[in-house]
Amino acid sequence: MNDTERSAARMRSPEGIRGSLHDFLKIAVDKGAVDSVLAPVKVPAENSYAWILMNDPAVIESASPVAPVMPVQGAKALKSLTRKGKGESRILAVMRPCEIRAGIELMKLNQVHFDNIVLVSYDCPGAVPFQDYVKDPGFSEESFGKMIASGRPGEENIKPACGICTEFSIVDSDIHFGYFGVDEGSAFVIPVSEQGAELLDAIGLDRDAKIADWESEISSIRDKRTKKRTETLSAAGERIKGLDGLINAFRKCIGCHNCMSVCPICYCRQCYFDSEVSKKDPDFIFEIAEKRGAMAFPRDKVMFHAGRMTHMSLSCVSCGFCTDACPTGIPVAEIFSYMADITQPTFEYIAGKNNGEPLPLRKFEKKELPLVHEIVKSAEGEEGSDE
Amino acid sequence: MSEWQPKILAILCNWCSYAGADLAGVSRMQYPPNVRVVRIPCSGRVDPLMILKGLQSGFDGVLVSGCHPGDCHYISGNFVARRRFAVLKPLLEFVGVEPDRVQFSWISAGEGERFAQVVTKVTEDIRKIGPAKRLVKGA
Ligand code: SF4
Ligand code: FES
Repeated sequence: MNDTERSAARMRSPEGIRGSLHDFLKIAVDKGAVDSVLAPVKVPAENSYAWILMNDPAVIESASPVAPVMPVQGAKALKSLTRKGKGESRILAVMRPCEIRAGIELMKLNQVHFDNIVLVSYDCPGAVPFQDYVKDPGFSEESFGKMIASGRPGEENIKPACGICTEFSIVDSDIHFGYFGVDEGSAFVIPVSEQGAELLDAIGLDRDAKIADWESEISSIRDKRTKKRTETLSAAGERIKGLDGLINAFRKCIGCHNCMSVCPICYCRQCYFDSEVSKKDPDFIFEIAEKRGAMAFPRDKVMFHAGRMTHMSLSCVSCGFCTDACPTGIPVAEIFSYMADITQPTFEYIAGKNNGEPLPLRKFEKKELPLVHEIVKSAEGEEGSDE
Repeated sequence: MSEWQPKILAILCNWCSYAGADLAGVSRMQYPPNVRVVRIPCSGRVDPLMILKGLQSGFDGVLVSGCHPGDCHYISGNFVARRRFAVLKPLLEFVGVEPDRVQFSWISAGEGERFAQVVTKVTEDIRKIGPAKRLVKGA
């Protein structure tokens, strides 16, 4: 949406953004604008959150639309519901920006269908690393609560991926809740799509607030974040670049493939790297072992990560789930984001940013984009192509 | 000089480069015997993983060749291949594979001579770089 003058509604709650969003869910269901809600709810054991699809007002009452942790990528929950196409009921899903972006990528890959979904995003302060939360839920709840109340993005006690996220605010959802830099207890409810605007009208939220200040606040935060991201990722790239660097980075890898199974983009029913064909013949392994004098297991660790990168880096949304899930503490997301920030700009693409834009590999130009052209040209040798 | 001979994997499109290679053979053109050819239906079929696997299993270089832009049997396979290649290139650099080890070219069925030239050039480039460090060395 190109916004010369974006108009928004305003909601207030003593509980800040969490309260406003919660009220919004209740009103939307109450007024029949949607049939059900998909949002995080704290599990009874009090030490995590789960995605719950709900339409019972009593259950909705217990929802925590802005949860401190991200145990399951929201796009995956959305996929479970819509992978076969449009469902019967109209669902309002509250998700973090990176979850919505992953959902958009999955939609382009035909794994998610948005037809009956209303997506609600919000200014995301970041999420607490899952392990930290599990260790000390009380402390994490408290620090996250403060973070939200501050009306600014978090800096401490958040996942490394969140600390360098540049898409922490409005995305291609239907409705966005903006509250960074807005006076306490107040949030702008911004219609992003036509569907979003209709819903706001249907539930009777007047759109008379001006959001220019919020917009400039977001862009100034984004500038700082962009700088931090570039610095962090290029330092990581320098550290890890090259075969030895990679081997080193993944030395602790136990080959559990957790990073892949939590990745929202890795949707293949069977990954090549889990398949029989990817396994080498023992004779071949003996042969190499003999040549080298020794042999490390599990095999093909770098191959797994490099291979996965070739498959998903154009759609990587840098949500950081891979790092969160790695039992040995490898900064997987940093490494993958480094690559994503090289491959995506080649196609002038930002994964999940725009739901009308095709995947870079689903289209092409006869006369390619300058960066693509340059890379291909240099790879074609002197003869070059004859275009 | 040295005895070492590079081993090069040539992944060739059935409709053009593969026939180009055939023509080069039938016309008894001379080109280095370092390439091992794999025939594929279209350059659009090449998954970057094939190239990584080739390097991993001991090839010193990989050549992928398809129809000239605009001439793909399946209309756009090579345009997509070209984009995929633009993704693979920086990744190869990241994993420490010298850029010239993996090359890309367009050769039509009638270009036997060009096939011989490309293979000669690729072989020389890779000979200069030397043997490939295996992607999985010790890992
Ligand atoms: S989660 Fe960590 S240990 Fe498991 S495969 Fe991924 S990088 Fe390796
Ligand atoms: S048919 Fe030759 S590249 Fe597609």
